[in-house]
Amino acid sequence: MSGDSEAREAVGEYKAGWHDPENSTIRFDFGLSEEVVRQISELKEEPEWMTDIRVKAFKHFSERPMPTWGNTSMLEEIDFENICYYLKSSDSTERDWEDVPDDIRNTFERLGIPEAEQKWLSGVTAQYESEAVYHSIREDLEKQGVIFLDMDSGLKEYPEIVKKWFCSVVPYSDNKFSALNTAVWSGGSFIYVPEGVHVEMPVQAYFRINAKNMGQFERTLIIADKGSSIHYVEGCTAPSYSTDSLHSAVVELVALPGSHIRYSTIQNWSSNVYNLVTKRGVAHEDAKIEWVDGNIGSKLTMKYPAVILKGEGSHAEVISVAYSGEGQHQDAGAKIHHLASNTTSKILSKSISKNGGRGSYRGMVTVSPKADNCKLNVVCDALILDEGSRSDTYPTMEVANPSARCEHEASVSKVSDDQLFYLMSRGHSEEESLAMIVNGFFEPFTRELPMEYAVELNQLMALEMEGSIG
Amino acid sequence: MDSASQYLSMSEPDKSNHLWKYTPWRKVHPTGKITEIPELASATLSLSMMDGSEVPPGVSLVRGSGGDLDLSMDNALTNSFLHAMSNSSNWLLIVESGFRLESPIILDVQTGEVASVAHVSLEIGEMADFELVTRVSGESDWFGLLRTGNIGGGAIFNDVLIGLQENGTFLRSDSLEIGRDAQVRAGTVSSGSERTKSDLRYKLEERGGGIKVLGSILSAESMHLDHHIEIHHEAPDTFSRLSWHSACGGDSKTVGTGMLQVSKGAMGADAGQIFHNLLLSDSAEADSIPELEVMENDVVGCGHGTANGPIDDEQMFYLKTRGFDEKEAKRALIAAFLNSTLSEMGGESLHEWLVGELTQQLEALHS
Repeated sequence: MSGDSEAREAVGEYKAGWHDPENSTIRFDFGLSEEVVRQISELKEEPEWMTDIRVKAFKHFSERPMPTWGNTSMLEEIDFENICYYLKSSDSTERDWEDVPDDIRNTFERLGIPEAEQKWLSGVTAQYESEAVYHSIREDLEKQGVIFLDMDSGLKEYPEIVKKWFCSVVPYSDNKFSALNTAVWSGGSFIYVPEGVHVEMPVQAYFRINAKNMGQFERTLIIADKGSSIHYVEGCTAPSYSTDSLHSAVVELVALPGSHIRYSTIQNWSSNVYNLVTKRGVAHEDAKIEWVDGNIGSKLTMKYPAVILKGEGSHAEVISVAYSGEGQHQDAGAKIHHLASNTTSKILSKSISKNGGRGSYRGMVTVSPKADNCKLNVVCDALILDEGSRSDTYPTMEVANPSARCEHEASVSKVSDDQLFYLMSRGHSEEESLAMIVNGFFEPFTRELPMEYAVELNQLMALEMEGSIG
Repeated sequence: MDSASQYLSMSEPDKSNHLWKYTPWRKVHPTGKITEIPELASATLSLSMMDGSEVPPGVSLVRGSGGDLDLSMDNALTNSFLHAMSNSSNWLLIVESGFRLESPIILDVQTGEVASVAHVSLEIGEMADFELVTRVSGESDWFGLLRTGNIGGGAIFNDVLIGLQENGTFLRSDSLEIGRDAQVRAGTVSSGSERTKSDLRYKLEERGGGIKVLGSILSAESMHLDHHIEIHHEAPDTFSRLSWHSACGGDSKTVGTGMLQVSKGAMGADAGQIFHNLLLSDSAEADSIPELEVMENDVVGCGHGTANGPIDDEQMFYLKTRGFDEKEAKRALIAAFLNSTLSEMGGESLHEWLVGELTQQLEALHS
């Protein structure tokens, strides 16, 4: 068997399964050391404080053991020495689409960015391997004073803002993978929305991994100032490869009083990618943070979008769906910490397991002793579509205030025979009926997405349901 | 490997393990030195009817050998530790096949005045139909109770444990295997003691078996009551329900962790668990982790839920308009909350007896 066909077999069929020849200008050797971390920082001409944070984070990463919970056997398969921690494929950040190198542009055109931009988007930042290669901001955003840059440019142009908020929500010592990200981060988005500004259109970024064994460690920081609002959309696709890739991002959201941040993600990594992501937001007084999170691809996802409800009257929502196919484990969930009074939160999690896949919801909600009159509601639904697939739920609820009203409910079931029978009696094939039921199951999630994402997700789920009958 | 070697071969569990997240092992170990297996006194066990009379033929309590250590339900740490310590305190409760009795049998466990331990092996015969109340009392500052055994096919067994100790630590582990078409209700009424770590595991290993696990827990002062309940569905057409009610006052903390596991091949399994927590004071805390692991797609349903809240203002208002004062109304609502699981634990006479016991505890809470 040739190397290519082995690779294809290892990762299975994948609809975005192409890759462009690597065309890197700067690439580090495999493996990680303090020297590599310092070199990355030097190459990016970063201020000293950032180098110091990177080095501290690297030390923490080296000393911290791997998590002893979750899918430990899959985690142990990650070979940190066999990953390239920095790859720069374009010399500088581009602002004009026409100046982006042809092969990179081809890749993005296949992902549909320019079209999406014409129709919908107010800005694009596209992560190509480790650097943002294309970046445009529509004039009206610039006029409103919105800063929308890749993270490296953000650090160069607005060092004071970055210094104030970087690591303020997710400290490097939070977990082993946030430490790794802080040590070697590259790319990602930096957004600042000034006081009272409402960004009407969703802003969007695409991320992909293109080089074999290429870790991708983007860092995103979004700050919504008082009374402002923004909807950020992140989508992931990645080509198929024979060896495992690691994606370990950190996303920090700061919602200042009265602001509103919605962060939507559809993750569709190819089935050899480890997707170990830390996402967390802090909501101040009367602010609102929403995570809309779809996990379709990857080999192992461990992602628990979190919100710290720090200010009185703040609100958090997490809506997530997960699809686990052959060889996949989607270990996703949500964490909400009610630290202030009159805070409310809602978690809705939906998962589907098929072809031996495993879907896990792992969540935590806490109410601190000083947080009076909090309300929270958690709902987890799971469908198991065939034999050998698995669904788990691991919710934790810690309540230390008697005035809190907390509810959690979860159910695991199969597709109802009655529903299938009804749809088939209306002339649909069994396969079509199943796809409709699955799309209906995901509907509370898809209705929260921009329309083209929702359409894409429905098409994707219909493709996944092909061949599932008989 | 004997149970002592088994225990000593294991490392201390860390907090990432939900079973030990809220109550570290060293806090419930009798000496806190986890590499020790201390020699403890034997508890005193006796069987009687509710009125103190002798039990009828067909049921007996004898000294036993303890048997082999069964770790098929993955509770190696607690079970091997308790098994190793109870060499001189093994008891065998045998109930003959077809034994039937309407009145509850009391298994009185006197923990004594010093740290003590007991291992009770239950051998419940096929088609037996009766109620057993295990009443734990005494002044001991540490007590360990291991209950293992089998419930025979077709048996109907109401099993209630009531903890009346006022002090010390109570470490409890139940590992019961439930036979074909057997129907079990396993109730826990409070757990007494200042610190409880209770690990209850039930295996539905044959077709048609069913279990209802019920908890009616009242915690006060600085009590720390941690209950873990696991139900393993390993055979087709098995049924389980877990309903756990905790009322939590003072500076106390209650923890309820549950695990419903449906193995591959357990078609038609119907499993549900729910934890309800009533918080009665500002400094009380209630934590819940109801977990599900489902490896079979052809199930009737698997679900879980948890709800925390204070005493309902509208219910308080209603009772006050009917002439209750604040204290009476609160006490009535707590009693009703706990009674909703208590009333399912057994027949009428058992229920009356349990209400009497719980009322005394409620009085103590409000005195």
